[in-house]
Parts: sequence; C-alpha cells; structure tokens
Amino acid sequence: MRLMADEGNARPLASGASQNLVSLVLMVVVGAIAMVSLYMGFQEYGNNEIETAFMYILIGVSGFAAIGFNFFRAKPVAKQTKGPKVVEVVTTLECPQCNLKRVRAHQVGDYIFKKDEPCTRCEGNMVITRINARKDPKDKKN
Amino acid sequence: MILQSLFSFAFIIYLFYAQRIQAMTMLRQIETSLRKVKSLRDDGRKIAIEAIKKFGKPERDPTPQVERFMDHFMIPPINMDPSGVVQKLGKIINVREFTFEREVAQMAPEATPAQRNNLENLLEAGLALNIFYKVIRHYYLMGKKTMNIYVIMQIHMILPQLIQQIEAYSAALQAFRDGIPIGDTVGPIVAAKLLDGAEVYEVAKEMAAGEIDYEGRRIIITKAWGPGGSVGKPGDAIRNILDKEKGKVKMLITVDAAGKLEGEGVGEIAEGVGAAIGGPGVEKYKIELAATEYEVPMFAVAIKQGMEHVVAPLVEELMDATDKAVSSVKGMILEYSEEGDTVIVAGIGNTVGVAQ
Repeated sequence: MRLMADEGNARPLASGASQNLVSLVLMVVVGAIAMVSLYMGFQEYGNNEIETAFMYILIGVSGFAAIGFNFFRAKPVAKQTKGPKVVEVVTTLECPQCNLKRVRAHQVGDYIFKKDEPCTRCEGNMVITRINARKDPKDKKN
Repeated sequence: MILQSLFSFAFIIYLFYAQRIQAMTMLRQIETSLRKVKSLRDDGRKIAIEAIKKFGKPERDPTPQVERFMDHFMIPPINMDPSGVVQKLGKIINVREFTFEREVAQMAPEATPAQRNNLENLLEAGLALNIFYKVIRHYYLMGKKTMNIYVIMQIHMILPQLIQQIEAYSAALQAFRDGIPIGDTVGPIVAAKLLDGAEVYEVAKEMAAGEIDYEGRRIIITKAWGPGGSVGKPGDAIRNILDKEKGKVKMLITVDAAGKLEGEGVGEIAEGVGAAIGGPGVEKYKIELAATEYEVPMFAVAIKQGMEHVVAPLVEELMDATDKAVSSVKGMILEYSEEGDTVIVAGIGNTVGVAQ
C-alpha cells in the first residue's frame, strides 16, 4: 500500500497520480476476476451445481461491491482540489423614509447599519439592514 | 477443493493480519482528510497574504511575516495553584492581543482600524487551520511509524468532528477577508438593533455602549465596537457600567450564540439565567464577579447554531433569529423589571460587519 510522504515540506503530500493509476489497475483486475466468476457461477448453475455456483456468484458480487466502495471512497479525494467553500452573500438595503427595499450582492466595505446609497424613490439615504449568505439549494440539512 | 483452500487461506490471513489491515484502511482515510486539510491550510495562508497586500499595501512582501505568524502559540498559565489563574490567563491573552495588533500594524500599515481587526481575525483563522493540520499530521505520521492501531484510532475517531471545525474555519476566511457578519455576530446584531442609532461612547477597550428608553426603563446596551472584527472586552464594559451606576441595576441580560444539539433548529431562541459568553473564560469570570459583587441577577438569551455556522458567513435563519432575540430581550425586560429601573443588555460575540 502506498502511503503519504509528507515528512518534509519540500516533498509533495502524496503521489496522487500514481496512486490513482494503481487503484485503476487494481479495479480493472478485480472487475475482470469478478466478471469471470459471475460467468462461471451461472454456468455451474446451469449444470445444477448449486453450491459451487453460489460460491462463484458470491465472489463475483463481492468484486463488484469492492469496486463500488472504492469509487465511493475516491469521491472526497477528487473534491479536495476545490479549495475553501465560497458562499454567495447578499446585502439588503432599506430606505427609512419610504421603506423601499433593495437586495444586491455583497461588496467589500458593506456593514449592517451603514448609510449606503441614495434612495432611488425619495430623497433619503438607504441603510444596510441585512447581510447574509444566500441559501444553497443543494444544502438540505440545517 | 481449490475454492475451499482459498477460503481457508484467506481466513488464516485475516486471523493474523486483521488489525494491520484495519490500521492501513484507517491510515488511508486519515491521509485523504489530511490532504484536504493541507489544501485548506495553504488556501488560508494565500488568502491572508493577498488580503494584507490588498488592504495594507505593505512596502515589502508580507509572506515571511505571515509564515512566522502561523506558528504563533500561547502558553496557558500553570493551574496547579488555581488562585489567580484567571487574572494570569487574562494577562497572557492581553499580551497575545497586543502582539497580534502590532504584527498586523507592521504587515498592513495602510489598512483602516476595521480592516486591521478583520486581518487579525483572518490570520487567526489561518493559524487555527495550521494547528489542525499539524496535529492531524503528527498522529498520522506517528501511526504510520509505529503501525499501532491505538495511536491511529485516537485521531481516526475524532476526525469527523475535526473536519467539521476545519471546514468552519475555512468558511471564516471569506467572512473575515470581506468583512461579512458570521454566526457569532448575532449577539452584536441584537445589541445594535436595540440601540437603533442611539449615541454611543467607548466604555472599555473596543466596547461601545449607548442608552435607550424602553417602556419607562433605562436600557444600557453594550457590544464590541464595529464594524471591524472584534469581540472586545465585555467583562470590562459591564464592570465599568456597574461601577458608574453604583450597582443600581435591576438586571443584566447577555445575548450570545450557543451551540445547538443535533435535532435542534438553526436560529432557535432559548432563554435562561447566567452569563451567556464563551471564550477562554476570562470575560465570563469578570461578568460573574461584577454581577455578584453588585447582586445583579443575570439573564441570558441564546441563539442556537451549529459548529459549522459559528465562524461562517451569517445564514438567513440566524439573521431572522436576531429579530426574535430582540423580542425575547424586550419580553424579559418587561417581565422582570419595573418602570424607572435600569437594565444592562450585552450583545456578546464578534462584531465583524456590524456597526452600532
């Protein structure tokens, strides 16, 4: 098993590419064995050798399950290059005189209770009343 | 026959090497997480350097200073003799804050005070990510070296909680870089909403205070001075207000963010008693000491949120919850005080992105 080599700062954290290649080759080999096992299992089943057929089918199914598990486990590795999560933040402005409300993307320098920009409807100045992250539609959990 | 022999062989192998296989599997999982943490740590450092260059406009490259800052540490006082340990810890925290302020002032000479506070917080988030990375790497390498399953299990068991905290700190980078309110800002937002534009003065270091009249009661509200990222010194602020009022205060209400349990909703409001304030405990000690000295009853309003919300940009549910918390504070004031009384309300938390 190839493990991380991060003892020194100059060396890379892990040899990701070769590790992926090894995993890929391993998965192909396991897949081929599983396929052959399944084929032999069905053949034995046709010959009414139920016990042997069961063994072959079990090996075949286990092989495919192992491949599936490997794919599932590989998912977070693929995600890791995305960097820190950046959320969309919106600023809500309200006019204290005419109650006009406006929502726009957050700008650096915005803060809650800042008198920001002139109201487009009356003479007043709009005040920032809310700054919050926009809800991620994919994020279902609280 | 061949199959039977294969199965027997596999069983014997598993019998002798099960623990080693398990250790290797766990090491692989830790490695995957460690790679992610390293990437987040590096991003944190990069974001901090970029922000310092953008806001501070330094004459020389701040990278070496940031690198040095990332290894900054604080040694807590000895607690074998607990007498006076809070004061000693308070003193050490003050020195730490002073050091951070000086470092940031040197790194970002052109930044405004609010931007400097945000940069301090940004560097602190980067520092926290660096510590997380180093601790996980330590256990990973030690586990790899010894192949001792108990060493590996120690880090493997707490890895999900650590990753949750690391992701939260990673989300904080965006918030502190751009001055966006975070989950912990709910307390100062409630205080600012109660102040409603009233005149404020500096009551303690980085603490604002103002007065309003509510249903015949005199309400003194305090919060950290915004909109830069700061938690201020709420303990000192409450002590100064109580000293000034000579203890003639009917009640003290603290409003703060509180950790929610799984199953509780984000933004749920809970009312209770005591001082609602987190952190190392120095400010909580000061509040409790002052309130006990003047025999002022302490009430608390908690706004529930998950660990992932505390330092991440404020979510909608928490922004809405601040209005409910304002109603809750007002309800408490009406219930437990009478006309002519003086009440102190303290909005506890980091005030990044919130003025007063």
